[in-house]
Amino acid sequence: MAQAGKGKLNYRCPSCFMRDLDIDMFFDKDKGEYYCLRCQYTGTEEDVLAKNEMVRFRYRAMMKRFEKFDFD
Amino acid sequence: MDKFVVNIIHRPEMVPEYSATVTGHGKEEDIGDKKLLTESLDIFKTQQRLAHENGLKVTIQMTYASLFNDEAVAIAKADHEKYGDEIALSLLGLPCEQFREKYKTKDFCIWMFSMEDKKAIVDDVFGKFHDTFGFYPESTGSYYMDADLTNYIKEKYPTVKCAVATCWEEGPKAYHTCNNSWYTLFDGGPWAPWIPSKQNTHAPAANEAEDSGIVAIPHLSRDLIACYDGNGSNFGTHPQNVLRGMIYDTKTWEYPYLYNLIDQYRDLAKYNNGYAYNMMFVGPGWMNKMGRWEAPYELLEKSYSDGCKYYGQLKKEGKLIDMTMSEFADYYRKKKTYTEPECALWRDILYGSDKQVFWYTDPYMRACVNMDQGGAIVDLRPYAAKLEWPVGIGTKHVQDASYPFLIQEKYRAGYFTHYAGEGTVRSAKLCHNGEEVDLCLCRTKAHFSQEGNTRILTLDPVEIEFADLTVKLQTIEYFEEGSSAIKIERKVLEMSDPSAEVELNEYMVACYGTTEYPEDMTGITLKCEGKDEKTINYEYRCREAEAFGAEAVSAVIPAIETKVSLAADKEAEGYIKEGYAFSPMFTLGYKTTLKDKGGFATWLKLEKEN
Repeated sequence: MAQAGKGKLNYRCPSCFMRDLDIDMFFDKDKGEYYCLRCQYTGTEEDVLAKNEMVRFRYRAMMKRFEKFDFD
Repeated sequence: MDKFVVNIIHRPEMVPEYSATVTGHGKEEDIGDKKLLTESLDIFKTQQRLAHENGLKVTIQMTYASLFNDEAVAIAKADHEKYGDEIALSLLGLPCEQFREKYKTKDFCIWMFSMEDKKAIVDDVFGKFHDTFGFYPESTGSYYMDADLTNYIKEKYPTVKCAVATCWEEGPKAYHTCNNSWYTLFDGGPWAPWIPSKQNTHAPAANEAEDSGIVAIPHLSRDLIACYDGNGSNFGTHPQNVLRGMIYDTKTWEYPYLYNLIDQYRDLAKYNNGYAYNMMFVGPGWMNKMGRWEAPYELLEKSYSDGCKYYGQLKKEGKLIDMTMSEFADYYRKKKTYTEPECALWRDILYGSDKQVFWYTDPYMRACVNMDQGGAIVDLRPYAAKLEWPVGIGTKHVQDASYPFLIQEKYRAGYFTHYAGEGTVRSAKLCHNGEEVDLCLCRTKAHFSQEGNTRILTLDPVEIEFADLTVKLQTIEYFEEGSSAIKIERKVLEMSDPSAEVELNEYMVACYGTTEYPEDMTGITLKCEGKDEKTINYEYRCREAEAFGAEAVSAVIPAIETKVSLAADKEAEGYIKEGYAFSPMFTLGYKTTLKDKGGFATWLKLEKEN
């Protein structure tokens, strides 16, 4: 089995991102999956992208444009 | 008219941070890689073009490495002539072949070197700058500038009047986010420009004698809620930081949050005598042609372009003034008095809550009031101590440059703890017939006003419901300029039973530290002051003492040369509580009885004690 490398982009582990950790993932070309060195997450590029959408759940106002910043 | 000032800063960093782990993955390290140098310079040129296309002036912070690059020097000179850009000098971007050869180290953070090396490097870098441009810079900076470093620079190179001197709340949280591999530990400073004291960079100078001689600006303008809780590097006026936080629509590549952040900073003018400030400083590593994490180069470039466009648009509309760092220092010196505080009533603009906090900084303290916890103080730094805290190799704090806290709700629990013990917070409890309600559970909102030299935070009244009584209570918090104290007033506006009485317990649970881990509390002295003086020398023995009519209840913490005390506006029972090993805290408080329309006020005071 050959060593892992980086993919075309440098994806972070979505599971670690959700606990405020930026961990680069590496790509296992034999299995066709990204994997995290720190936790047990593995996933295809499609799965990584889907999970990256999921991590945005906490940003409920992410797309809102605010015009007022006080409660007066 | 309100004045919103922006500083745009670029640095030609010939070997950008992250290049080794991103661009250089799978290759042996080559710090002189010509391809890397060319790409880095291209990024710098792109940043310069985007700022100038939008009519914005730039402060070019030359790095040591770039002073050896003729093209980088030529660009700086040309853009100074054509656009009025300031040519300044950064202490970031030290790594290059010449630096490695001379100093035989891979260290690159100026505040972490020994004092001897700091002086040698500063002389080297400033000398090289002078050789290149024929003058000494007026502005400099790094992620953090410790007081000894700043004092040395100011003494040796008095032309320097402005410096990037800290990155707000970049401490243990940032360290953890980077898998405990990014050693920028400097929590506890101001979020907006200030005049640092000679004793400690974080603590603003109280007078001319303490004045370090520079105006400090923060590295980026950061979200005052999101950064305090999460990874600071996701929530600032750094477009690629917003991408790092994944705060954008992946289909449309839109990121309204960036504009909300800028606009909320503009809005702070109403709390600061009509002045507000922003800073954007993106290192070239963030516009890597290889992309940065999941963001491709095109998105990185778009976000920087959009950031410049938005600032440019505000300028065209007359809502923004762009300045170089040295211009800003002159402006700030004219408008600022030493004791004038910086205030920020800040709302959540990201998570969809209505959470609101108030940040206050002056030469004596930095405090955060949390309206989601009934106006409790959830962060407190005793700047009054002006703690001398040398950092770098050869000192007691090689990396840890944070200003110590007395209260920190994230590192020391705050109101909520697991199973046992207490967390740090300054709040109050109401007790009636065996029931107890903490104001930390009363969510509310605040309104800012100013009377003379006092900034006032008036909170919307809250209702406390006991089984047989409802109490409507209002909290008002006063920050009097130069007083080194916070006055908190509680007023009973209404009681469902006008003849009832409730007990009010004003309290502060505190400790000291700079990280998440406890410090040794031995040596702390707790006192009920006054005629009936009571003393507890901290030994983790869970002791308590009280004295009716105590003039003050206090704690002296020798490790951070600080005395903190509470005093009341009328006779009440003062008390002190020692903690224990599982709860390494102390508590200061007052208990009194309140009736309908009654009130009670206390002062939290901070002093230097050594």
